[in-house]
Amino acid sequence: MSRIGVFVCHCGTNIAATVDVQAVADAARLMPNVAYATTNKYTCSDPGQQAIADAIKEHELDRIVIASCSPRMHEQTFRKMLAEKTSINPYLLEIANIREQCSWVHKDKAVSTPKAIDLVAMAVAKVDTDKNLYTSTIPVNRKVLVVGAGIAGIQAAIDVADAGFPVTLVERNPSIGGKMVKLDKTFPTMDCSACICTPKMSEAGNHPNITIKTLSEVEKVTGYIGNFEATIRERAKYIDYDLCTGCGACETKCPSKTTNEFDEGLSLRKAIYKPFAQAVPSKPTIDAKTCRKLTEGKCGVCAKICPTGAIRYDDTDRTTTETFGAIILATGYDLIDWTKIYGEYGGGRYPDIVTGLQFERLVNASGPTEGHIQRPSDHAEPKTLAIIKCVGSRDPHKGVSYCSRACCMYSAKHAHQYLDKVKDGRCFVFYMDVRCAGKGYDEFYMNTLHDGAVYVRGRVSKIYPENGKLVCMGEDTLSGQVVRVDADMVVLETAMVPNEGASQIAGVLNAQRGPEGFFTEAHPKLRPVKTNTAGVYLAGVAQGPKDIPDTVAQAGAAASKVIGLLARGQIESNPMIVQVDNAKCSGCGACTDICPYGAIELTEVSLRENSRKVTRTVAKPNPGLCQGCGACTVACRSGAADLLGFTNEGIMREMEALLR
Amino acid sequence: MDFTEQVRKRASQLIEEGTVACVIGWSAGRLKYQRTPTCADTPEQASNLVCDQHCEHALGKYVLEQKDKGRVGLVARGCESRAINRLIADRQINREDVYLIGIPCTGCTTRDGVELKRCHECQFRNPVIYDELLGEPAPEPKNDRFADVRKLEAMSREERRAFFDLMYETCIRCHACRQACPCCTCKVCFAEQEREGWQGKQFDVEQARYYGVTRSFHVADRCIECGECERVCPMGLPLMTLMHKQIKDIDELFGPYEGGGLSDEGPDALRTFKTDDIEEFM
Repeated sequence: MSRIGVFVCHCGTNIAATVDVQAVADAARLMPNVAYATTNKYTCSDPGQQAIADAIKEHELDRIVIASCSPRMHEQTFRKMLAEKTSINPYLLEIANIREQCSWVHKDKAVSTPKAIDLVAMAVAKVDTDKNLYTSTIPVNRKVLVVGAGIAGIQAAIDVADAGFPVTLVERNPSIGGKMVKLDKTFPTMDCSACICTPKMSEAGNHPNITIKTLSEVEKVTGYIGNFEATIRERAKYIDYDLCTGCGACETKCPSKTTNEFDEGLSLRKAIYKPFAQAVPSKPTIDAKTCRKLTEGKCGVCAKICPTGAIRYDDTDRTTTETFGAIILATGYDLIDWTKIYGEYGGGRYPDIVTGLQFERLVNASGPTEGHIQRPSDHAEPKTLAIIKCVGSRDPHKGVSYCSRACCMYSAKHAHQYLDKVKDGRCFVFYMDVRCAGKGYDEFYMNTLHDGAVYVRGRVSKIYPENGKLVCMGEDTLSGQVVRVDADMVVLETAMVPNEGASQIAGVLNAQRGPEGFFTEAHPKLRPVKTNTAGVYLAGVAQGPKDIPDTVAQAGAAASKVIGLLARGQIESNPMIVQVDNAKCSGCGACTDICPYGAIELTEVSLRENSRKVTRTVAKPNPGLCQGCGACTVACRSGAADLLGFTNEGIMREMEALLR
Repeated sequence: MDFTEQVRKRASQLIEEGTVACVIGWSAGRLKYQRTPTCADTPEQASNLVCDQHCEHALGKYVLEQKDKGRVGLVARGCESRAINRLIADRQINREDVYLIGIPCTGCTTRDGVELKRCHECQFRNPVIYDELLGEPAPEPKNDRFADVRKLEAMSREERRAFFDLMYETCIRCHACRQACPCCTCKVCFAEQEREGWQGKQFDVEQARYYGVTRSFHVADRCIECGECERVCPMGLPLMTLMHKQIKDIDELFGPYEGGGLSDEGPDALRTFKTDDIEEFM
């Protein structure tokens, strides 16, 4: 018979204000096999932990239940305490979550106390079935995969590479740089975006520890922390980069043109092209959809003109498989496609309504207008500019419910830039709120007001063309008056949404995403750059909307976590893994199909069955690969697959305790 | 439908020439409309086989009992062929372990000549795989099989509860449905793994519900719609209603899906994850 100790935590008033913790301890004392039950003000504190260790010794407890916060919070803390201060195996511990799942979600003590007692009863029933478990160590491969090479991915790659670990930086586009390199100036200091981004790009490009793979995607990832095996598809570039010198002769002679993605569709580019002057790698690629040679079989001008003979029309996609110890996801964002959801703004029919990123290109000296603000339709300088914020953001009916965070600042920047360049211009900014929290941010916004930007608190309900103007109808909700602005050009500050590639990489990695599609961090405060998939880290907007300073800071944080992992060189394995009972296993392979880690294979074994020896197929888990997710135990109909620490028996006992 | 002569001839030949070690089929029973599953090991035994509209037992699962003899011949209609696909997908047999004598089935009837419900609802009467087919493919009427499901769906919550309560109050947990089911190939069924308070021997509606619902989910995405569970149920429970409901749901949620056993390739709907799966419930 086991001797169970139950320790109920007040968590200050977090739990005790809503749950009668004394009543929970009293009820626990009457539960089967409970030898001791008590309460504690702060169980996770040093004295709290010592009190448990003392009670274990004094009352000869052989397993314990701690009724406190989520196990995600402090299970490791208490396991460590058991390992260091007591003779109990750290896995003879169950946490009853009476905070997040009880006191925080209820108001009434009469409801929450019986629920807390039920939760403790379940944990007591389960801990009784727990068995000693032991960890082992597995080596970590000291290479890092960074997915996405915007400023987040570049910064993370440089930080990891500087620590001496090899990094592979994978980017879908022909050049690294992401969105930042398209921007003109950065708030609040107004330093040139490209001037601070491109040195980072070339540092990454020249770093001996960084391998850049552009036009590439991660197709498949298997394995686990320390030993991920990633399959990377590098799309055909049609150029031999070993021979190409990046002279650019091909681009000048190429006859086919198409929309320039780098200029957000505001200009044209050639079929063989380098996206922008400072691109890294600084060599062109051929866009197979536009190239005449590749679509029609005629032309071949670039091959004729290339002085080094680097053009390869027969180039094909290449896939490589490499092993990595950790993965950093820096997949970034796209702007929401406002044309599909804002019919009242013309749905994309009026060329002089542009997005914030398009405005960045228009105001950028390297952009299509060489930095002169001209409206796309007739290249006239707009004398009246309307800027509309929160297009798609904070709009659950049409777009997304969250705030895109950076737009308040960059719309102030756009207003400032416009008023700076068009001296006789007028600028109206339609806003819902102005959120300028950040170092030097509010000062920047105030400066924009002093520049003469007119901020109108209200949303624009309709935009329509009239006499060559775009009429913006809105309301000033502060004065309650209808506002009409006859603008020459309108800038929509549209919502940031997860990059379209995020869902693909989420699928291959089994990485969790929130309802809005951003990757979910392991803990919003305490583990902001880790994910729930061990060994996968987050940087930048992939995790949620943020501006450049936050992105760079987070990239550094992700890199430091990765460096910490690689520097240790080994990790403790999780002992809560699956075990297969050969006698029950019929070898149907349901578990091998469902296992996301490829950790189970079918193998032949000899065993005794009905008093005779037989050879048959059974499932055999690989303890190195198993992550203990438990998917197989659910797929296994006969219960042959059982998860140590979460046994079928333990879960059934919990259910019984709940239903008793 | 009467393939008796052809089956006898081919079964004898196959055994004689050594292609198969035995042939599983039916022989005559005590009464004139009764048939009984038979395994013929010799040409003489094969000459007693019968194959007509009274052969209501689905034979697929018998292969498991006979496969130690060598390659097994099986008289296979739509339902048997889908059972074989199922057993291959569940890695219980290999395709080369069986030789399928295909029968273009036109459905079984009761002694009064009325078509059986499950044959009426059958979507694949011709075998979906075979090594030879006796005769030309039969017409596939593809009658509606979801009438019961729509009735179930139209019920109120309380009515539905009453429907299932009646079902599980009636169930005697003889486990015949499981024994007959070609999807039930576990070495040890969950129902035999005694869990105190969950599956005792007492007569209890909750325990019957636990058995019935769990079993239906264990076969949900694999059910080949042979209807054997319903046929062998001594209490005459409408077991296929729940199976059809699940097939219909899988079709609507993850489809198109026509039912289990149409190919021998896994994995099945409920143990497949695709990035474009609907995630409304998450």
